[in-house]
Amino acid sequence: MTVTIALPSKGRMKEEAAAIFERAGLPIVAVGNDRSYRGRVEGAEHIEIAFLSASEIARELGAGSVDFGVTGEDLIREGLSDADTRVEIVAPLGFGRADVVVAVPEIWLDVDTMADLGDVASDFRSRHGRRLQIATKYWRLTQQHFSSQHGIQLYRIVESLGATEGAPAAGQADIIVDITSTGSTLKANHLKILSDGVILKSQACLVRARKPAHDADPRVAAIVTAVRAAL
Amino acid sequence: MPLINMPEFAGPLLDDFAARGAQRIDTPVIQPAAPFLDMAGEDLRRRIFLTESETGESLCLRPEFTIPVCLRHIETVTGTPRRYCYLGEVFRQRRDGDNEFYQAGIEDLGETDIAAADARAVTDALQVLANLLPGRRLSVRLGDQGVFEAVVRALGLPSGWQKRLIQSFGNTAQLKQLLQRLASPQAVAGLSAETAALVRQDEAALIDHIDRTMQETGYSTNASRSPREIAARLKEKLALAETRLDGTALLLLSEFLSLELPLAEAPAALAGFGDAAGLSLAPALKGFEQRVEALADLGMDLSGVTYRAAFGRPLDYYTGLVFEVTRANEDAVLAGGGRFDRLLTLLGAREDIPAVGFSLWLDRIEQARAR
Repeated sequence: MTVTIALPSKGRMKEEAAAIFERAGLPIVAVGNDRSYRGRVEGAEHIEIAFLSASEIARELGAGSVDFGVTGEDLIREGLSDADTRVEIVAPLGFGRADVVVAVPEIWLDVDTMADLGDVASDFRSRHGRRLQIATKYWRLTQQHFSSQHGIQLYRIVESLGATEGAPAAGQADIIVDITSTGSTLKANHLKILSDGVILKSQACLVRARKPAHDADPRVAAIVTAVRAAL
Repeated sequence: MPLINMPEFAGPLLDDFAARGAQRIDTPVIQPAAPFLDMAGEDLRRRIFLTESETGESLCLRPEFTIPVCLRHIETVTGTPRRYCYLGEVFRQRRDGDNEFYQAGIEDLGETDIAAADARAVTDALQVLANLLPGRRLSVRLGDQGVFEAVVRALGLPSGWQKRLIQSFGNTAQLKQLLQRLASPQAVAGLSAETAALVRQDEAALIDHIDRTMQETGYSTNASRSPREIAARLKEKLALAETRLDGTALLLLSEFLSLELPLAEAPAALAGFGDAAGLSLAPALKGFEQRVEALADLGMDLSGVTYRAAFGRPLDYYTGLVFEVTRANEDAVLAGGGRFDRLLTLLGAREDIPAVGFSLWLDRIEQARAR
């Protein structure tokens, strides 16, 4: 049986992941031509590489159809329920850093913490005839942060698949939960991050699907050791 | 509907409801999702079955009956008071237990004698259960949002703090956190010197400053919160941050929340608590007492009923009574109910319609009957 590793299929994530595997002594070559979505590791016939999009990697890890994957922690925690029982984060890889944050209009001078937001949300319906609206593509992370951690129940999520930072000014939502690396897009859109509004500090990680067969498999342990040593 | 999976006691149960003067109402299994998410919050999303219509409307499989019954009532404009009953399947994503199961219940809409309607809901729930579970000992746990609100008001806290506490009633962790904040206030952070100066000196100038900034940043056309609202809350926030609940008041509040005693003794105990604490709780206690009397008038054996002061549901449409029925010494809730005077207006009713009701978990009752 082969061990399958899913890697990002394009962009900087692909290059950075390849560089780490190279340093780990697991140089990756594409099968066929450079644009092929299959790869292998030179000198390790038992390893198969699948090039997938980052969110698909999270899903395949959850389903257990690949053994390892490199993807953002945000996609793991957003995409999988009970992430920690289904996958193991083997090692943060030090690139693809971004935070999932709660951001509100800068001019909301009275809102600096989640507690402030709780006050605003509880009054929102009686003042504005509807619940506070949050634009995000992070449904699960938003619910965990608002409902479980801060006891805020009364809000509605408005799905936003792109340009989320523009939603408050466009009137599609009141606030946002989104990913940011430098904060400059938030600033450009006159949004500020709440002081306790960082939901997750995310980065690219090597993630292992938890499978019983892995326990006794020296090849799995070897991959873990090699990647950790390369960091 | 597959009759075969209907609980075998459905027939007698519906007869029992009819004998109690309730009119059966049916509601579609497929419901618009928005009212449920609006009322109960986004957290519900993980626990219901959502789908979408071809036109993009968010729909769900009926997760409970109270909201559909109320929506149907508003739609049909039939006038009040009305006593509805229902029996049917509900659908929820549960880790353990089936995803589809039966619920039945009664909703009293528009009955203005609050104490009598409350007492009737509790009594009906208990009697219906007793008929389904002959010979089993049942216990009732009862709470009252109104009494908690009265205690909070009597403590003389600013209204912003009252609101926070009242909103978290029923959520023990949240309430505890709030009490900690009240015990040790912290200075407001994150204010620029300019704003801090403005808010202390001149509210009009502050509103003006917010308004100008909104216009400069192209935000004002779609702003949900107005400059006035932001300024007012900022002012309130600074005032609230300085509020400190003294040790005695905090102790009183936690003493109140720890009250748990037989319902028959509760009115005297609450009155005693109010007197000893020097808090005037009169109207809420009167309502409480009337409800206890009404329960006794209906022949309820109060010895099986416990009042727990901290028992509530942290949803903003519950207003007074909450209760649940279990078998004695067991945890599984067989019936749950309460008063939701705010729900109908939130759902779009033009006038206030007081409402109280209860719901039976037929799958759990079936299990209890087997034992």
